[in-house]
Amino acid sequence: MKDSAFLKEMEEASKEQISSCYQCYRCTIGCPVVSRMDLKPHMVIRYIILGEREKVLSSKTIWTCLQCITCSVRCPNDIDIAHVFDTARKLSIKEEMASNRDTWLFDSLFLESVKKHGRLNEIEAILKYKLAKKDLFSDTKMGMDMFLKGRIGIMPHNIKDRKGMGRIFENLKEGTGRDR
Amino acid sequence: MILTYYPGCSLKTSSKFYDASIKRVFSSYGVQMDELDDWSCCGASAAHTIDDKLAHALVARNLSIAEKKGNPLFAPCSACYNRAKTTNETLRIDRSLREEINGVISPLNCLGTVEVLNIIEIFKDFIGLERLTEKLRYDLSSLKVVPYYGCVLTRITKFMPFDDREDPKSMDMVLWISGVETIKWPYKMECCGASKTLTDKDLTFELSSRIMDMAFTLGADAIVTPCPLCQLNLDILPSLGKKERVLPILFLSEVFELAIFGNLSGTSSHMIPVDGVTGKIGKKHSP
Ligand code: SF4
Ligand code: SF4
Repeated sequence: MKDSAFLKEMEEASKEQISSCYQCYRCTIGCPVVSRMDLKPHMVIRYIILGEREKVLSSKTIWTCLQCITCSVRCPNDIDIAHVFDTARKLSIKEEMASNRDTWLFDSLFLESVKKHGRLNEIEAILKYKLAKKDLFSDTKMGMDMFLKGRIGIMPHNIKDRKGMGRIFENLKEGTGRDR
Repeated sequence: MILTYYPGCSLKTSSKFYDASIKRVFSSYGVQMDELDDWSCCGASAAHTIDDKLAHALVARNLSIAEKKGNPLFAPCSACYNRAKTTNETLRIDRSLREEINGVISPLNCLGTVEVLNIIEIFKDFIGLERLTEKLRYDLSSLKVVPYYGCVLTRITKFMPFDDREDPKSMDMVLWISGVETIKWPYKMECCGASKTLTDKDLTFELSSRIMDMAFTLGADAIVTPCPLCQLNLDILPSLGKKERVLPILFLSEVFELAIFGNLSGTSSHMIPVDGVTGKIGKKHSP
Protein backbone atom coordinates (compact mmCIF):
# COMPACT_ATOMS: atom_id res chain seq x y z
CA MET A 1 0.00 0.00 0.00
CA LYS A 2 1.41 3.36 -0.95
CA ASP A 3 1.41 6.25 1.43
CA SER A 4 1.78 9.49 -0.46
CA ALA A 5 2.59 11.46 2.71
CA PHE A 6 5.54 9.27 3.66
CA LEU A 7 8.15 11.15 1.62
CA LYS A 8 7.16 14.48 3.12
CA GLU A 9 7.11 13.04 6.61
CA MET A 10 10.60 11.57 6.19
CA GLU A 11 11.97 14.75 4.63
CA GLU A 12 10.63 16.88 7.43
CA ALA A 13 11.80 14.59 10.19
CA SER A 14 15.30 14.13 8.75
CA LYS A 15 15.71 17.59 7.18
CA GLU A 16 17.18 15.82 4.17
CA GLN A 17 16.14 16.38 0.56
CA ILE A 18 15.39 12.75 -0.14
CA SER A 19 13.48 13.58 -3.32
CA SER A 20 16.66 14.85 -4.99
CA CYS A 21 17.98 11.27 -5.35
CA TYR A 22 18.57 10.30 -8.97
CA GLN A 23 19.43 6.66 -8.32
CA CYS A 24 23.12 6.75 -9.10
CA TYR A 25 23.78 3.75 -6.79
CA ARG A 26 26.85 5.35 -5.22
CA CYS A 27 25.51 4.82 -1.73
CA THR A 28 25.04 1.12 -2.38
CA ILE A 29 28.37 0.60 -4.09
CA GLY A 30 30.36 1.85 -1.12
CA CYS A 31 28.37 0.21 1.65
CA PRO A 32 30.44 -2.35 3.59
CA VAL A 33 27.42 -4.39 4.72
CA VAL A 34 25.27 -4.35 1.61
CA SER A 35 25.48 -8.14 1.34
CA ARG A 36 23.54 -8.45 4.59
CA MET A 37 20.76 -6.07 3.66
CA ASP A 38 17.40 -7.04 2.23
CA LEU A 39 16.96 -3.72 0.45
CA LYS A 40 20.04 -2.00 -0.92
CA PRO A 41 20.52 1.58 0.34
CA HIS A 42 19.54 3.26 -2.96
CA MET A 43 16.37 1.13 -3.01
CA VAL A 44 15.37 2.30 0.46
CA ILE A 45 15.70 5.87 -0.73
CA ARG A 46 13.64 5.05 -3.82
CA TYR A 47 10.95 3.34 -1.76
CA ILE A 48 10.69 6.38 0.48
CA ILE A 49 10.09 8.52 -2.58
CA LEU A 50 7.46 6.05 -3.80
CA GLY A 51 5.70 6.07 -0.44
CA GLU A 52 6.35 2.42 0.39
CA ARG A 53 6.10 3.03 4.11
CA GLU A 54 5.89 -0.56 5.24
CA LYS A 55 8.67 -1.85 3.02
CA VAL A 56 11.02 0.79 4.38
CA LEU A 57 10.09 0.68 8.05
CA SER A 58 10.10 -3.11 8.27
CA SER A 59 13.32 -3.54 6.28
CA LYS A 60 16.38 -5.18 7.73
CA THR A 61 18.54 -2.57 6.04
CA ILE A 62 17.83 0.32 8.39
CA TRP A 63 19.03 -1.82 11.32
CA THR A 64 21.93 -3.53 9.54
CA CYS A 65 23.40 -0.11 8.78
CA LEU A 66 26.58 0.58 10.78
CA GLN A 67 26.25 4.36 10.62
CA CYS A 68 29.71 4.51 9.08
CA ILE A 69 28.55 7.48 6.94
CA THR A 70 30.35 6.31 3.79
CA CYS A 71 27.17 6.61 1.71
CA SER A 72 26.40 10.08 3.05
CA VAL A 73 29.74 11.61 2.14
CA ARG A 74 29.55 10.12 -1.37
CA CYS A 75 26.02 11.08 -2.34
CA PRO A 76 26.22 13.59 -5.22
CA ASN A 77 22.99 15.17 -4.01
CA ASP A 78 24.22 15.62 -0.48
CA ILE A 79 21.61 13.36 1.06
CA ASP A 80 22.80 12.15 4.47
CA ILE A 81 21.58 8.60 3.87
CA ALA A 82 22.87 7.32 7.20
CA HIS A 83 20.78 9.98 8.91
CA VAL A 84 17.74 9.10 6.82
CA PHE A 85 18.10 5.51 8.06
CA ASP A 86 18.49 6.79 11.60
CA THR A 87 15.22 8.67 11.16
CA ALA A 88 13.51 5.57 9.75
CA ARG A 89 14.68 3.60 12.80
CA LYS A 90 12.83 5.92 15.16
CA LEU A 91 9.67 5.67 13.09
CA SER A 92 9.89 1.89 12.77
CA ILE A 93 10.12 1.55 16.55
CA LYS A 94 7.25 3.95 17.10
CA GLU A 95 5.05 2.07 14.66
CA GLU A 96 6.22 -1.34 15.86
CA MET A 97 7.55 -2.43 12.53
CA ALA A 98 11.22 -2.92 13.47
CA SER A 99 12.68 -6.10 11.98
CA ASN A 100 15.26 -6.29 14.76
CA ARG A 101 15.25 -4.46 18.05
CA ASP A 102 18.72 -5.37 19.36
CA THR A 103 20.40 -2.10 18.43
CA TRP A 104 17.55 -0.09 19.92
CA LEU A 105 17.58 -2.18 23.06
CA PHE A 106 21.29 -1.82 23.62
CA ASP A 107 21.29 1.90 22.85
CA SER A 108 18.40 2.44 25.28
CA LEU A 109 20.24 0.59 28.06
CA PHE A 110 23.38 2.56 27.27
CA LEU A 111 21.45 5.81 27.75
CA GLU A 112 19.76 4.55 30.89
CA SER A 113 23.20 4.03 32.37
CA VAL A 114 24.27 7.53 31.32
CA LYS A 115 21.13 9.01 32.82
CA LYS A 116 21.83 7.31 36.12
CA HIS A 117 25.59 7.82 36.43
CA GLY A 118 26.44 10.59 33.98
CA ARG A 119 28.93 8.30 32.31
CA LEU A 120 28.59 4.91 30.72
CA ASN A 121 28.81 1.98 33.09
CA GLU A 122 29.79 -0.67 30.54
CA ILE A 123 29.26 -3.68 32.78
CA GLU A 124 25.81 -2.58 33.84
CA ALA A 125 24.65 -1.87 30.28
CA ILE A 126 26.11 -5.10 28.91
CA LEU A 127 24.67 -7.30 31.66
CA LYS A 128 21.24 -5.75 31.30
CA TYR A 129 21.37 -6.30 27.56
CA LYS A 130 22.38 -9.91 28.00
CA LEU A 131 19.67 -10.51 30.57
CA ALA A 132 17.07 -9.03 28.27
CA LYS A 133 18.32 -11.28 25.48
CA LYS A 134 18.46 -14.28 27.87
CA ASP A 135 21.98 -14.85 26.63
CA LEU A 136 24.27 -14.42 29.60
CA PHE A 137 27.01 -16.79 28.60
CA SER A 138 27.97 -16.03 25.03
CA ASP A 139 31.04 -13.84 24.71
CA THR A 140 32.37 -15.00 28.08
CA LYS A 141 35.78 -15.68 26.54
CA MET A 142 35.97 -12.18 25.11
CA GLY A 143 34.83 -10.75 28.45
CA MET A 144 37.35 -12.75 30.47
CA ASP A 145 40.23 -11.90 28.13
CA MET A 146 39.36 -8.22 28.37
CA PHE A 147 39.01 -8.40 32.12
CA LEU A 148 42.43 -10.02 32.51
CA LYS A 149 43.99 -7.21 30.50
CA GLY A 150 42.31 -4.60 32.67
CA ARG A 151 40.07 -3.49 29.86
CA ILE A 152 36.70 -3.78 31.57
CA GLY A 153 35.75 -1.18 34.15
CA ILE A 154 33.92 -2.61 37.13
CA MET A 155 33.24 0.53 39.09
CA PRO A 156 30.40 2.83 38.07
CA HIS A 157 31.50 6.27 36.98
CA ASN A 158 29.37 8.79 38.75
CA ILE A 159 29.59 12.45 37.90
CA LYS A 160 28.95 15.07 40.56
CA ASP A 161 26.00 16.77 38.92
CA ARG A 162 23.81 13.71 38.48
CA LYS A 163 20.76 15.82 39.33
CA GLY A 164 21.44 18.09 36.39
CA MET A 165 21.93 15.09 34.17
CA GLY A 166 18.61 13.62 35.24
CA ARG A 167 16.99 16.98 34.49
CA ILE A 168 18.27 16.94 30.91
CA PHE A 169 16.56 13.58 30.34
CA GLU A 170 13.39 14.76 32.11
CA ASN A 171 13.22 17.93 30.05
CA LEU A 172 13.24 15.86 26.90
CA LYS A 173 10.98 13.15 28.16
CA GLU A 174 7.71 13.85 26.39
CA GLY A 175 9.01 12.87 23.03
CA THR A 176 11.81 10.37 22.76
CA GLY A 177 12.15 9.14 19.24
CA ARG A 178 12.27 12.64 17.85
CA ASP A 179 14.57 13.58 15.11
CA ARG A 180 16.54 16.60 14.24
CA MET B 1 50.04 25.32 25.70
CA ILE B 2 46.86 24.36 27.51
CA LEU B 3 44.10 22.05 26.32
CA THR B 4 40.78 21.19 27.88
CA TYR B 5 40.81 17.42 27.85
CA TYR B 6 37.66 15.39 27.22
CA PRO B 7 38.72 11.76 27.74
CA GLY B 8 35.30 10.20 27.13
CA CYS B 9 34.21 6.88 28.61
CA SER B 10 36.61 4.64 26.64
CA LEU B 11 39.77 6.30 27.90
CA LYS B 12 38.64 5.81 31.48
CA THR B 13 37.63 2.14 31.09
CA SER B 14 38.59 -0.13 28.20
CA SER B 15 41.41 2.06 26.93
CA LYS B 16 43.02 3.53 30.06
CA PHE B 17 46.44 2.93 28.58
CA TYR B 18 45.62 5.33 25.73
CA ASP B 19 44.98 8.04 28.31
CA ALA B 20 48.32 7.23 29.98
CA SER B 21 50.15 7.19 26.68
CA ILE B 22 48.75 10.55 25.58
CA LYS B 23 49.69 12.15 28.89
CA ARG B 24 53.21 10.75 28.74
CA VAL B 25 53.83 11.99 25.21
CA PHE B 26 52.11 15.36 25.47
CA SER B 27 53.85 16.30 28.67
CA SER B 28 57.21 15.86 27.00
CA TYR B 29 56.10 18.50 24.49
CA GLY B 30 54.96 20.83 27.24
CA VAL B 31 51.27 20.44 26.49
CA GLN B 32 49.17 20.85 29.61
CA MET B 33 45.87 18.98 29.70
CA ASP B 34 43.15 20.15 32.08
CA GLU B 35 40.48 17.50 32.33
CA LEU B 36 37.02 18.93 31.65
CA ASP B 37 35.34 19.54 34.98
CA ASP B 38 32.67 16.94 35.80
CA TRP B 39 32.40 15.82 32.16
CA SER B 40 29.66 13.39 31.18
CA CYS B 41 29.19 10.80 28.46
CA CYS B 42 28.48 12.33 25.04
CA GLY B 43 26.06 9.57 24.04
CA ALA B 44 28.36 8.38 21.23
CA SER B 45 26.42 6.46 18.60
CA ALA B 46 23.63 5.46 20.98
CA ALA B 47 21.98 8.82 21.66
CA HIS B 48 21.31 9.91 18.09
CA THR B 49 19.67 6.59 17.28
CA ILE B 50 17.16 7.13 20.07
CA ASP B 51 16.67 10.90 20.05
CA ASP B 52 18.65 13.51 18.16
CA LYS B 53 17.86 16.29 20.60
CA LEU B 54 19.15 14.23 23.47
CA ALA B 55 22.31 13.62 21.45
CA HIS B 56 22.86 17.38 21.07
CA ALA B 57 21.96 18.07 24.70
CA LEU B 58 24.43 15.53 26.10
CA VAL B 59 27.23 17.06 24.05
CA ALA B 60 26.14 20.64 24.72
CA ARG B 61 26.45 20.04 28.46
CA ASN B 62 30.15 19.32 28.04
CA LEU B 63 30.73 22.07 25.47
CA SER B 64 29.17 24.66 27.76
CA ILE B 65 31.60 23.77 30.54
CA ALA B 66 34.51 23.90 28.10
CA GLU B 67 33.46 27.28 26.73
CA LYS B 68 33.92 28.88 30.13
CA LYS B 69 37.60 27.93 30.08
CA GLY B 70 38.18 29.13 26.54
CA ASN B 71 40.94 26.65 25.68
CA PRO B 72 40.59 24.24 22.74
CA LEU B 73 38.73 21.04 23.57
CA PHE B 74 40.68 17.88 22.84
CA ALA B 75 38.70 14.65 22.29
CA PRO B 76 40.90 11.66 21.47
CA CYS B 77 38.03 9.24 20.80
CA SER B 78 36.83 9.50 17.20
CA ALA B 79 33.19 9.01 18.12
CA CYS B 80 33.34 11.70 20.84
CA TYR B 81 35.20 14.01 18.48
CA ASN B 82 32.65 13.56 15.71
CA ARG B 83 29.73 14.22 18.07
CA ALA B 84 31.40 17.22 19.72
CA LYS B 85 32.33 18.77 16.39
CA THR B 86 28.87 18.19 14.92
CA THR B 87 26.93 19.65 17.85
CA ASN B 88 29.34 22.55 18.25
CA GLU B 89 29.01 23.64 14.62
CA THR B 90 25.28 22.93 14.45
CA LEU B 91 24.42 24.96 17.52
CA ARG B 92 26.62 27.86 16.45
CA ILE B 93 24.76 28.17 13.16
CA ASP B 94 21.21 27.12 14.08
CA ARG B 95 19.88 29.67 16.52
CA SER B 96 16.46 28.16 17.14
CA LEU B 97 17.92 24.74 17.86
CA ARG B 98 20.52 26.37 20.11
CA GLU B 99 17.84 28.08 22.14
CA GLU B 100 15.88 24.88 22.42
CA ILE B 101 18.88 22.82 23.54
CA ASN B 102 19.91 25.52 26.00
CA GLY B 103 16.42 25.31 27.46
CA VAL B 104 17.02 21.61 28.02
CA ILE B 105 20.46 21.94 29.63
CA SER B 106 19.61 25.10 31.61
CA PRO B 107 21.12 26.64 33.74
CA LEU B 108 24.04 25.74 31.48
CA ASN B 109 24.39 27.60 28.22
CA CYS B 110 26.19 26.51 25.06
CA LEU B 111 27.11 28.87 22.22
CA GLY B 112 29.07 26.48 20.04
CA THR B 113 32.21 28.60 20.12
CA VAL B 114 34.84 26.23 21.43
CA GLU B 115 37.53 24.85 19.11
CA VAL B 116 37.20 21.05 18.97
CA LEU B 117 40.38 19.14 18.14
CA ASN B 118 41.29 15.50 17.57
CA ILE B 119 44.65 13.89 18.31
CA ILE B 120 45.97 14.17 14.75
CA GLU B 121 45.34 17.91 14.79
CA ILE B 122 47.12 18.22 18.13
CA PHE B 123 50.21 16.52 16.77
CA LYS B 124 50.19 18.19 13.38
CA ASP B 125 49.07 21.74 14.16
CA PHE B 126 48.88 22.37 17.89
CA ILE B 127 52.34 20.99 18.66
CA GLY B 128 53.45 21.27 15.04
CA LEU B 129 55.50 18.96 12.85
CA GLU B 130 58.79 20.76 13.40
CA ARG B 131 58.53 20.70 17.18
CA LEU B 132 57.55 17.05 17.07
CA THR B 133 60.98 16.10 15.75
CA GLU B 134 62.79 17.72 18.70
CA LYS B 135 62.14 14.94 21.22
CA LEU B 136 62.62 11.86 19.09
CA ARG B 137 65.46 9.69 20.36
CA TYR B 138 64.72 6.25 18.96
CA ASP B 139 65.01 4.96 15.45
CA LEU B 140 61.75 3.49 14.14
CA SER B 141 62.83 3.13 10.51
CA SER B 142 62.61 -0.66 10.51
CA LEU B 143 58.98 -0.52 11.66
CA LYS B 144 56.35 -0.79 8.94
CA VAL B 145 52.83 0.35 9.76
CA VAL B 146 49.51 0.94 8.05
CA PRO B 147 47.65 4.11 9.07
CA TYR B 148 44.09 3.26 10.03
CA TYR B 149 41.91 6.35 10.45
CA GLY B 150 38.63 4.51 11.02
CA CYS B 151 35.28 5.66 9.75
CA VAL B 152 33.93 8.67 11.62
CA LEU B 153 36.96 10.90 12.15
CA THR B 154 36.73 12.68 8.81
CA ARG B 155 33.26 11.60 7.76
CA ILE B 156 31.44 14.68 8.87
CA THR B 157 28.61 15.42 6.51
CA LYS B 158 27.38 18.97 6.92
CA PHE B 159 30.62 20.73 7.81
CA MET B 160 34.17 20.90 6.54
CA PRO B 161 36.18 18.08 8.08
CA PHE B 162 39.80 18.74 9.13
CA ASP B 163 41.12 16.47 6.37
CA ASP B 164 39.83 14.85 3.19
CA ARG B 165 36.73 12.76 3.90
CA GLU B 166 37.79 9.82 1.75
CA ASP B 167 41.54 10.04 1.49
CA PRO B 168 42.95 11.72 4.58
CA LYS B 169 46.71 12.20 4.76
CA SER B 170 47.28 14.08 8.00
CA MET B 171 48.12 11.02 10.11
CA ASP B 172 50.44 9.72 7.36
CA MET B 173 52.33 12.98 7.71
CA VAL B 174 52.54 12.75 11.49
CA LEU B 175 53.71 9.14 11.25
CA TRP B 176 56.33 10.10 8.73
CA ILE B 177 57.74 12.56 11.26
CA SER B 178 57.93 9.80 13.89
CA GLY B 179 60.28 7.87 11.63
CA VAL B 180 58.21 4.77 10.92
CA GLU B 181 57.69 3.50 7.41
CA THR B 182 54.06 3.76 6.33
CA ILE B 183 52.56 1.38 3.79
CA LYS B 184 49.86 2.56 1.39
CA TRP B 185 46.72 0.49 1.71
CA PRO B 186 43.09 0.63 0.63
CA TYR B 187 41.52 0.27 4.08
CA LYS B 188 42.53 3.47 5.85
CA MET B 189 38.86 4.46 6.19
CA GLU B 190 37.18 1.07 6.27
CA CYS B 191 34.56 0.57 8.98
CA CYS B 192 35.47 -1.96 11.71
CA GLY B 193 31.83 -2.39 12.77
CA ALA B 194 32.33 -1.05 16.29
CA SER B 195 28.70 0.02 16.71
CA LYS B 196 27.65 -3.64 16.48
CA THR B 197 30.29 -5.33 18.66
CA LEU B 198 27.64 -6.52 21.10
CA THR B 199 24.54 -6.70 18.98
CA ASP B 200 25.98 -8.43 15.90
CA LYS B 201 29.29 -10.02 16.77
CA ASP B 202 29.59 -12.04 13.55
CA LEU B 203 29.30 -8.93 11.44
CA THR B 204 31.88 -7.05 13.48
CA PHE B 205 34.20 -10.07 13.34
CA GLU B 206 33.92 -10.27 9.57
CA LEU B 207 34.64 -6.57 9.03
CA SER B 208 37.52 -6.41 11.51
CA SER B 209 39.10 -9.61 10.18
CA ARG B 210 39.11 -8.22 6.68
CA ILE B 211 41.00 -5.14 7.83
CA MET B 212 43.47 -7.24 9.80
CA ASP B 213 44.05 -9.66 6.91
CA MET B 214 44.81 -6.83 4.51
CA ALA B 215 47.36 -5.29 6.88
CA PHE B 216 48.98 -8.67 7.38
CA THR B 217 49.12 -9.46 3.67
CA LEU B 218 50.84 -6.16 2.96
CA GLY B 219 53.63 -7.06 5.38
CA ALA B 220 52.95 -4.47 8.07
CA ASP B 221 54.34 -4.90 11.60
CA ALA B 222 51.46 -3.01 13.19
CA ILE B 223 48.27 -1.10 12.52
CA VAL B 224 48.20 2.47 13.87
CA THR B 225 44.93 4.16 14.79
CA PRO B 226 43.78 7.24 16.74
CA CYS B 227 40.42 5.61 17.63
CA PRO B 228 39.87 3.58 20.85
CA LEU B 229 36.85 1.78 19.38
CA CYS B 230 38.81 0.62 16.32
CA GLN B 231 41.74 -0.41 18.51
CA LEU B 232 39.61 -2.54 20.79
CA ASN B 233 37.59 -4.08 18.01
CA LEU B 234 40.70 -5.28 16.20
CA ASP B 235 42.55 -6.17 19.39
CA ILE B 236 39.83 -8.63 20.53
CA LEU B 237 39.96 -10.64 17.28
CA PRO B 238 41.95 -13.51 18.88
CA SER B 239 39.31 -13.84 21.64
CA LEU B 240 36.69 -14.24 18.94
CA GLY B 241 38.63 -17.00 17.22
CA LYS B 242 41.11 -15.34 14.88
CA LYS B 243 44.43 -16.66 16.17
CA GLU B 244 46.54 -16.51 13.02
CA ARG B 245 47.66 -13.60 10.91
CA VAL B 246 47.12 -10.94 13.56
CA LEU B 247 49.16 -7.81 14.18
CA PRO B 248 49.35 -5.47 17.17
CA ILE B 249 47.25 -2.32 16.96
CA LEU B 250 49.03 0.75 18.28
CA PHE B 251 47.55 4.08 19.17
CA LEU B 252 49.06 7.05 17.38
CA SER B 253 50.43 8.34 20.68
CA GLU B 254 52.12 4.98 21.28
CA VAL B 255 54.20 5.40 18.15
CA PHE B 256 55.53 8.59 19.72
CA GLU B 257 56.11 6.83 23.01
CA LEU B 258 58.35 4.45 21.08
CA ALA B 259 60.13 7.29 19.32
CA ILE B 260 60.66 9.34 22.48
CA PHE B 261 61.13 6.70 25.21
CA GLY B 262 61.85 3.49 23.29
CA ASN B 263 59.08 1.61 25.13
CA LEU B 264 55.34 1.51 25.76
CA SER B 265 53.66 2.17 29.10
CA GLY B 266 50.64 0.11 28.04
CA THR B 267 52.35 -3.08 26.88
CA SER B 268 50.37 -5.29 29.25
CA SER B 269 47.01 -3.88 28.13
CA HIS B 270 47.39 -4.97 24.54
CA MET B 271 45.45 -8.17 23.85
CA ILE B 272 47.65 -8.90 20.83
CA PRO B 273 51.27 -8.82 22.08
CA VAL B 274 53.44 -5.92 20.99
CA ASP B 275 56.85 -7.58 21.49
CA GLY B 276 57.41 -7.85 17.75
CA VAL B 277 57.15 -4.08 17.54
CA THR B 278 59.16 -3.04 20.57
CA GLY B 279 61.91 -5.45 19.52
CA LYS B 280 62.48 -3.49 16.34
CA ILE B 281 63.33 -0.18 17.97
CA GLY B 282 66.89 1.05 17.79
CA LYS B 283 68.67 3.93 19.50
CA LYS B 284 69.27 6.90 17.24
CA HIS B 285 72.88 7.72 16.41
CA SER B 286 73.64 11.05 17.93
CA PRO B 287 74.60 13.51 15.23
S1 SF4 C 1 24.12 8.19 -3.62
FE1 SF4 C 1 22.46 9.68 -3.28
S2 SF4 C 1 21.67 10.15 -5.34
FE2 SF4 C 1 22.89 8.27 -5.51
S3 SF4 C 1 21.39 6.61 -5.28
FE3 SF4 C 1 22.25 7.01 -3.24
S4 SF4 C 1 20.85 8.49 -2.32
FE4 SF4 C 1 20.42 8.49 -4.51
S1 SF4 D 1 26.14 4.35 6.84
FE1 SF4 D 1 24.98 2.43 6.72
S2 SF4 D 1 24.11 2.38 4.66
FE2 SF4 D 1 25.69 3.95 4.66
S3 SF4 D 1 27.53 2.90 3.91
FE3 SF4 D 1 27.59 2.78 6.16
S4 SF4 D 1 26.60 0.85 6.69
FE4 SF4 D 1 26.05 1.30 4.54
